[in-house]
Order: sequence, then C-alpha cells, then structure tokens
Amino acid sequence: MRVIMIGFGSVGKAFGEIVKKSSGLLIKRYRITPKVVAIVDRGGAIINQQGVDLQEAISARLSSGSVAGHRILGHKGTTALTVIDRVEADVLLELTPTNLPDGEPGLTHIESAIKKRLNVITTNKGPLAAAMPSLLELARYQGVHLRFSGTVGGGTPILNFAKECLTGCRIESIEGILNSTTNHVLTRMADAGITLNEALKEAQDAGYTEADPSYDINGLDTASKLVIMSNWIMGRRVSIRDVDIEGISNVSVEDVENAKRSEKAIKLVGLINDSEISVHPRTVPFDNPLCVKGTLNAVAFKTDLAGTITVTGRGAGGTETASAVLRDLIDIKRTLLE
Amino acid sequence: MRLVMKFGGTSVADADAITRAVRIMKDLLLQGHEVVVVTSALPRVTDELVSISEIAVEGNLEMINTFLEKHLELHRETARDCIRDPKILGMVIGELSETSRELGEILRSVAHLRELTSRSKDFLLSFGERLSAPIVCGAANNSGLSAEWFTGGEAGITTDENFGEATPLMDVTSRRIKAKIEPMLRAGKLPIVAGYGACSPHGITTTLGRGGSDYTATLIAASLDADEILLWKDVEGLMTADPKIEPSARVIQRISYDEASEMAYFGAKAIHPRALEPVAAKQIPVRIRSSLHPSNGTLIDSDRTVKSEGVVKAVTLVSNVALISVKGAGMAGLPGVAARVFKILGDAGINILMISQSSSEAGISFVTPREQLQRATNALELGILGTEFVKDIASEDDVCVVAAVGAAMKGTPGVAARVFKAVAEKVVNVRMIAQGSSELNISFVVSEKDGPKAVRALHKEFRLERTP
Repeated sequence: MRVIMIGFGSVGKAFGEIVKKSSGLLIKRYRITPKVVAIVDRGGAIINQQGVDLQEAISARLSSGSVAGHRILGHKGTTALTVIDRVEADVLLELTPTNLPDGEPGLTHIESAIKKRLNVITTNKGPLAAAMPSLLELARYQGVHLRFSGTVGGGTPILNFAKECLTGCRIESIEGILNSTTNHVLTRMADAGITLNEALKEAQDAGYTEADPSYDINGLDTASKLVIMSNWIMGRRVSIRDVDIEGISNVSVEDVENAKRSEKAIKLVGLINDSEISVHPRTVPFDNPLCVKGTLNAVAFKTDLAGTITVTGRGAGGTETASAVLRDLIDIKRTLLE
Repeated sequence: MRLVMKFGGTSVADADAITRAVRIMKDLLLQGHEVVVVTSALPRVTDELVSISEIAVEGNLEMINTFLEKHLELHRETARDCIRDPKILGMVIGELSETSRELGEILRSVAHLRELTSRSKDFLLSFGERLSAPIVCGAANNSGLSAEWFTGGEAGITTDENFGEATPLMDVTSRRIKAKIEPMLRAGKLPIVAGYGACSPHGITTTLGRGGSDYTATLIAASLDADEILLWKDVEGLMTADPKIEPSARVIQRISYDEASEMAYFGAKAIHPRALEPVAAKQIPVRIRSSLHPSNGTLIDSDRTVKSEGVVKAVTLVSNVALISVKGAGMAGLPGVAARVFKILGDAGINILMISQSSSEAGISFVTPREQLQRATNALELGILGTEFVKDIASEDDVCVVAAVGAAMKGTPGVAARVFKAVAEKVVNVRMIAQGSSELNISFVVSEKDGPKAVRALHKEFRLERTP
C-alpha cells in the first residue's frame, strides 16, 4: 500500500521505523507491504514512488530542517495539497499537530484526500473536533475509509474496544482520563506537593509534553477526544462547540491536598452521558479504576448489559500512537479485500 | 428569532413583487430577527431554460440569441424598475450581463456539440435563480439593507451527483452552511441564496428537482437551527382540495409534517415532496403564505402539537398516471413472481406510485407515471409475458389516483367505509385501492373522467369546506 505522510514528528518517524523493522512480519501475517511514497513537512516534500528511505528523510531533516533538503528526491516548498493532488497513493496519513478550533490545515488535507479517493488515517484531533460528521459523510460518499484510532488513547484501543467489543450493549455513559500531560501534572502535584506550574515545568524538562501544552491544560485536548467518541461510539453529531469545557489551571495545591485527605485525587475528567458532554476537574476516589497515575489514560464505559468496563493504557507516545496507525492501515487493507 | 424565508416565482414576478418582498425582509430585520432569504427564478424562466436547452441541442444558434436577448432584457428591466440607486443598479446590470454571457456560451456549446447531458442540463437550469438573486439582492441593498447573494453551492448545499434530483449530503451541507452563513448573520447582514441549485463535493453544479427552492430553504433552516421557515408562494397555503376542482376548498390552517409530505407526494403542488425531511427531524415549523393575500396561510408543525382538524384533512388528485395489471392464474402460490415483476420495472427505471395484489394472488396491479407506461409494459412483455405464470399484461392510461390524507385515520374505524360509500353514491367505479400501513392516506384509482367527481364527493363527505 502506497502511503503519503503529512507531518514528520515522533509518530511519523515511529511509523516509518515499524514499517522498516517489521516488514517481514507484516507481509507474512497481514499480507501488507506499506510503502511511504511521500513525506511532507513545513519545508516541502520528499517523494519516491519506490519508497522513501526513512534514514535519508531523517538526515535530510536534521541537516536542512526539512525532508525537502534531500538532494535528489527533495522538493522544496511543495505543499501537502500538491502532493495529495499529484502523487499516486492509496492512503494519506495526516499526522500534523492539532489546531483548534478550526482544525486547519489538517481539515483541508483530509477533505482533499477524500475527494481524490484516498483512504485517510489521522492522528490529528483538530479536523475531527471541528467537522467529524461532515468528514465521515464525505468519505462514505466517496467510498473510502477514514480512520483515527490514534486520536484517543494513543496506542490504547479505546475507540475500537467500544465500537466492536461492546456490540449489543447500550453505552449509557463514558467517563475518562484522556490527557496524559494533565494527569502527569496532577499526579506530581499530589505526590510531591508542588504547584501546577512547577509540575508542568518538570514534565516539559523531562520531555513528557508538547512544546505548547495549552490545549492540554485548558481542556481542549480532552474535549476533542470527547467529540470523537460521541460521534463514533454514541452516533451523535457534535463538534467542539457543543462541549462544556473547564481546564485545570485553577487547581491549587490546597485542592489536591484536601482531596487527598478524603482518599480522593483530582483528575481532569471527560464525561459523556445523555444530557451532557463536558470536561471538568473532578475528584475521583483512589479505589476507582479510573484513578490512574502518571501518563496513563483510563476510560470507563457504563453499559446496560455488561456493567462498567474500564480500559487502561498509555495515552501518548510516538511508537504507541504509530501502532494505532498501523492497526488502522491493516484494517483498511482487510476491508479492501472484502 | 432566526427565520429562513423563501420567495417563490410569483413573489419575485416583477419589480412590484420584489419591492413587496424587500419590505417584508426589512420589517423583520427591523424587529430584530435574523433573516436568510432564498429566491426562486422569475416566473416561467426555468421552464424556458428547459425548452431552450432542448432547442439548443438541435443546433439552433439563432433561437439561442433571441432567447438570450429576451431574457437579459427582462431581467434588466426588472432590475431598473426596483433599484433606484445608480451605483447598485450598475453593479446588478453588470452581473446580469456577465451571467447572461456565460449562459450564452454554454447554450452555444450545447448547440455545437449537439449533446445535452444531465450534468450540463442541471448547470443550465440553475441560471434562472442565478439571474433573479442579484436583482433581489440589489433591491434589498437599494432599500438600505446590507445584503449579499450566493448560489446554493456557494452557500454550502452539497449533494451527490444524481443530476436532476440530487440528494443532499446533510452533514457536509450543514457544516458548510454554518461556516458561511452564521458569521454573516452575526454581522447583521442579510444573506440571499439562489434556490434550486447546489453542487457536488467536486464543485459540479446540481439541482434539487423542480420546486427545489423549498428544499433549499429547509436545508438552510435545518443547518442553522432556525426557529421558523416562511415559504412565500402564489397560493395561500395547502388546500383541502384543488380549488379548480372543488370551489369550496379552503386553506388548511395546521397540518403535521407527515400529512403535508403525504399530500406533496400525492400531487399537492404547493410543496416539494422531500423538502420537509430536514426540518421534520429538527421540528422546525414551516409556514406557507401568499405575498398577495394577507392571511395566516398553513402552518406545518410537529405531529405532537398539531391537533387533528378531522380524520381526513385533504383530498388530492394525481392525474397523468397509468394502471398496469399483470395477470395469470399460475401466479398464485408461486414465490418470487412479484420480485421478478418489480425487478424488471426497477431495471427499466420505472417509478411506481401504488401497488396492490389480491389475496388470491392471481394478479398484481400498480400505477406508474403515464409517460412511463409504454416503457413499462414493453419491459414486462419482453421479460415475463408468456412464461408459464403470466398470461396477460393489461394497461389503462385514462386513470387517475385520488387520495384522502389525514393522520387521524389511524385508529379511527370506518374511514375507508365512508370513503368508498361516498364515491359509490356518485356511481364512480373504483379500479384499485391501496392504503399504506402508516394509515396516513387511503388512495384509489378511478377513471380519469371520474377523478374530479370522486374528489368532490370526498370533500363533501368529510365536510372539508367547514372551518374547524
């Protein structure tokens, strides 16, 4: 399968490595030979129909700041839209950073790819938060797949679990810790007694967060994930405008200490039920399975038949999220065969 | 309130009508409402576009020039009569000339190629509204409003590529309309949208079917979560029957979405059959009014709030239909015969309005549009006549369908008895009967000459002339 990759950060690199390292396994077990035919970053593109060599792309980026710096295969200034339009491929990977509230430029990348009848896999929450019902309808109309496993829970298969494993149950509510940065920060505030800013600084120094963690702290990241779950799992038609959002910037050391005294922790909790979609800091009892520590994510599905089921796993990370992309890719290959 | 208003052909018929329409817009804006306007083409323009495109495909270039001159002048004159401000008028005239030039190019290409695909036809037919909308917009600006006009596609209405009767991609449409129109409303502007036309995701112009500007209005209203839709038409509202057939017919004051849709499918021309789908889901009330006769018109509303005016609310008549009967004693008890009959018809592109089969299974009857009769009987003759089970295919083209519509029929015993007793008393012979399981209507087939008689008999039986 020929793949165009837009955005070449940690997920893109990790995906490239997986494809390179496990090509034997992928062909043996899944009859799939993913081939990255183009990578686009801010400076331009590297294009090779035979398959772009990952190491060459990485060194071009290191030496010149862009994959387009490659002396033979580089195309300086070539945009994602040009590549989508001109390069023959089967799947677009949209891996650019989330941008809210309008979801651009990822939204335009995805729309253009669907119109060109490319399947799309994205880890970018922005376009889905802004226009998920519309993108799904367009993909259906064009007869292509739009997959986004990596947008919620990183490598933890939260979306697939709810959609496939809970078939037959009615999901009454979804409650979850969906953002690794804030969960890490809140955990450190409780464990080390430090302030929010100190905890955040510590996380940044350790490389746990994005350069700009504002979407994490103000709750928009969690809200985007709720939008994706509401549309995909609950079949609603909502966008980020429909979410009631409060971040953690007002959470103080005292709040955390007070909660602790009553055997509880303050968590940034996303909630979907019949009457609301909301993000708020809430207290969660220590013995609740949702009360996970550090960069873990946890989502509790309350169902009518199977009771409440909680899924826990690492919520971020390049390789983890790349595994979700690979899962989507294999899934698309399977449905294409049907 | 957020209102979507559609002005039908007669409501923009001439400068006076347009001035009246603009006054309505202005009044509502001054009352503090948010308003989106949808316009139809000037009267008869779309019909004439249909005929000129059929003439163009014959290669007749001369007729094209005459057509263009006539229509450019008609629109220019209308613009001159309702726009005083020379600057605005100049702009509108410029727009009209440009659009007319584009229309000419396309018609001439059709003439040279001698080819008129359904795709090019949709593009051509969208010009009626593309010529009327700038005039309405200019007139609005002339009276001090801050209006801007768009084609349906520009406004965000996105459909599949089933040209001639395209189906909207509702979620895409909804998002695009919100993105385009909402900022304008927030800025206090008046968006004016050309009705009927739309575009596919690939930017190709499509149309929503004849009378589609109702649909344009309801799609916009549903996307913007409007509070009410006003359809300004040349009729005062939905009628209990066609007043040309039954002079005592009156305007129905309130009716549910389901009943109104049923009436639209059964020939009441006042509304596009699919137009109510998007707003019924969101329970947005629709009011049909006449811009000439000030009255309350008809309010189409949710089923829960509409109190029944009576078991039967309206009687409709569909003419131009034909009745086909497939017969054969061997059909009885043989599975799959009906499937074969309807597969043949489906493959031949035949639209079926009504179906009925007696429990003896010795025959199936159905109703098709009259212009499809020959194609239908021919397809059946080639496909199934002479097999061991079908011995005869009979058709009658001098028939019509009469339907009594009303939601309260459901669960009211004796309605069918009253319907057929009333018809029988007028010595009208009923050829075929069908009632859907929704029980929203009882429809039956009678000979063409008996149709009006049957309508009058039912109108009287259910006392529809009386205001409830």
